[in-house]
Amino acid sequence: MSNDAANSDSIPITLIGGYLGAGKTTLINKLLSHPALPSGTAVLVNDFGDINIDESLIRSESDDGTVIGLSNGCICCSISDDLSKALDALREMPVKHVILETSGVAEPLRVWRHCHYPGFTPKAAVVLVDASNHAKRSQDKYVGSLVRAQVEQAHLLVLSKTDLNPDFEINRLIPQLSNQDPDLINTLLGWHRASDKSAIEPASSLLPAFRAYTWRQAQDISQALLTDVLSALDESVHRVKGLVATQDAGVLLIDRVGDSLKMRCYTQSAKPGHLGLVFICRSSSSDEMHNAASGRGISSIASQITRLNASN
Amino acid sequence: MLTLYKARSVITMNPSMPRASAVLVRDGNILEVGEPERMQPWLEGQQFTVDEQFADKIICPGFIDPHLHPSMAAVLLPMEFITAMRWKLPWGDVEPVTDPTAFDTRMQALHRSKPAEEPLFIWGYHQLWHGEMDKARIHQISDQRPIIVWHRSFHELYMNDPAMSMAGIDPAQIKPGLQIDIDEGHFFEVGLGFAINRLNPWILAPEKYAEGLRRLKQVVHHGGHTSIGDLATGMFNLDAEAKALTEQLEGDDVSFRTRLVVHGTRLTQGGRKPEEGPTMAADLLRHNSHRLSFGRHIKLFSDGAFFSQLAQMQEPGYVDGHHGEWLAAPEELERHIRAYWHAGYQIHVHVTGDLGLELTLDILQKMQDEKPRFNHGFTFEHFGFSTPEQIRRIRALGAQVSANVYYLHELSDSYAKSGIGYERASQMARIGSCFAAGINTTVHSDFTMAPAEPLNSMWVAVNRINHGGQVMGAAERLTQQQALEAITINAAHTIGMADITGSLRAGKRADFTVLDDDPLNCDPMTLRDIGICATVFEGRVFPIP
Repeated sequence: MSNDAANSDSIPITLIGGYLGAGKTTLINKLLSHPALPSGTAVLVNDFGDINIDESLIRSESDDGTVIGLSNGCICCSISDDLSKALDALREMPVKHVILETSGVAEPLRVWRHCHYPGFTPKAAVVLVDASNHAKRSQDKYVGSLVRAQVEQAHLLVLSKTDLNPDFEINRLIPQLSNQDPDLINTLLGWHRASDKSAIEPASSLLPAFRAYTWRQAQDISQALLTDVLSALDESVHRVKGLVATQDAGVLLIDRVGDSLKMRCYTQSAKPGHLGLVFICRSSSSDEMHNAASGRGISSIASQITRLNASN
Repeated sequence: MLTLYKARSVITMNPSMPRASAVLVRDGNILEVGEPERMQPWLEGQQFTVDEQFADKIICPGFIDPHLHPSMAAVLLPMEFITAMRWKLPWGDVEPVTDPTAFDTRMQALHRSKPAEEPLFIWGYHQLWHGEMDKARIHQISDQRPIIVWHRSFHELYMNDPAMSMAGIDPAQIKPGLQIDIDEGHFFEVGLGFAINRLNPWILAPEKYAEGLRRLKQVVHHGGHTSIGDLATGMFNLDAEAKALTEQLEGDDVSFRTRLVVHGTRLTQGGRKPEEGPTMAADLLRHNSHRLSFGRHIKLFSDGAFFSQLAQMQEPGYVDGHHGEWLAAPEELERHIRAYWHAGYQIHVHVTGDLGLELTLDILQKMQDEKPRFNHGFTFEHFGFSTPEQIRRIRALGAQVSANVYYLHELSDSYAKSGIGYERASQMARIGSCFAAGINTTVHSDFTMAPAEPLNSMWVAVNRINHGGQVMGAAERLTQQQALEAITINAAHTIGMADITGSLRAGKRADFTVLDDDPLNCDPMTLRDIGICATVFEGRVFPIP
């Protein structure tokens, strides 16, 4: 997953993955009619089958029926299993960003590699997870390993059907949002793949508006330090989530949305597999990332991660 | 007009009368198989010819390959073959090339034999035999002529500079990190798609494609076939394929018939529901012509490509821990199968690994519970890996098997070493067990995955010898009788044509394959070298020079 910088003049591709029934089509439908969808976005879907484009939005249709032009300056294309052909077709069009729906049985990493195509570069792999049956499906004899791989390979998880299973959590240091999140579409469009704690990179020329940073916990810390760190973050930190082992209060489940911080004891008997925090950082304008005042979100997270590590 | 064909022996594949010495034919149909002196009632007062041209030959029922892909073959056949395995092609045998020097020598010879400007497409390269390939190596052959070297698996290719400029590929535009190594001229995975999109004017041009189908026609004839199955019609584009097939594979000069089995998921792609598929597929029947016919058959897919180790395996899986892939979500496969099962179709499912087979068996079990059917012909296509327990389930559910037995010859050695281990690799294509269980079992080439030579498939099934000369899974060897059944009557059952072909008896079409030697009594090691002197399709002789 290297060479993003080398391909800075390439068109970025955001993958939308997830198993059959996880809500990809619903999300694509939402996206196509969303006012925030920037002109010049190309949405590639496997099949127009279940895509529901408002008639009033359709401006043109190609002769072979594989490309639909929309009045918001976007296009929707069906790829019928041949990504290279679809991407070659897009070269002829004024496209600035591609949203690619993967097949339900695709591993995001495999498609990610395919997005390293002349003129294009992968930007983020978003994977939808069906909260109502993920636990069962990830143990399935036939698709269990696939569904687990889809989650592991995601840069951003979007949980769907959370109303059917409100307590559903994925205990992984992978940024996650609910598909009910009011900022879902903006986040998704602006998402850039996560960096690890060690690599708080400068923003690439792709000007991401949303990013995640991960702190992996190596040793226990005090609850006081944790609380202190979490309250010292500035407002550009949109969300913090994870599990942290403390010296005095056991393992704590952290969920901070905006200013509201929830800290609960982790009560499940199984030892958590992943300790640490995921910080989702947003900036109100993408330029902000570049100027000095900008990187506030990032530098705030960086300094707080440093404090957490220094305590060890 | 009646014709009495006499032979040294007629192998009928009719168990009630396995052997005869003559076949009496009228208007392309068999009137009687047996001894000439008993055929008087047909001959009295009639004009007839006694045809003795096969008097010292063996007449077999016309061979059938129940699963190949004319459209894919048409793309490949105009190319030059340099392969590690032997391929008998009508325009000459391709002798095995098993080391790097010999590969270069052969490339050089092909280069010298071509007019200066003509691009040279080569297929069959494999690093295991032919060493590492790159642009510099091709440039040693020529840096003037466009040369494209295609991997045996089809999944990657190499090009020299002239080929890139011919295709309009500007190396400066290709940045690092893509599935293209521009310095080596190497295009793989989606990079292969990039290359193909630009090579299409040379490989998919209508006249090239037509030329490819004409070559396919020769290949099918030379293999001794009188019927074949196109087991995924519409894999590229149904209308275009149907048009090309009608132009090339219908007409008096065509020595075989083709059962077209439409690609089920392609059929309903573009917004149609799987449940609409059976009606759409039935509508295709009105396009049927004499030699080209759809039936109430459908093709569906379970797990990934065998050649790419993407077959879905049960525990303990692959040695290196990688997983195979599903070609459709299990729920989607089930939904398609359900639609066609309830509509009474014969369903053919591509299965390669034993997990892919297990899934498909589970779905078939569900269908039998929902709506029991007898004689439904549900067929497991390719049948790479299986377990003995699955053989019992196949029998219990009334299904049948069409195996690509050639996998065993070409791949069992490398899959034993770097794939799944010796035990399971030696038992791929477990077809001896299928015969023992009474399952209708046939073998196919999946051409161009394997040579379209039924006698070669028969040779592999009987001897189970891999390319290194080792016998793999001796207990699964077929008898010569079983193997001949596999390429005749059993194959006819699989493509739904057993009422008209697959054996020689009164009432069937006069479809013969005429051999120099007896495939049931010869040394089994000589099976694939038996000469085929002619085929007869519906009473018309098509000599093989």
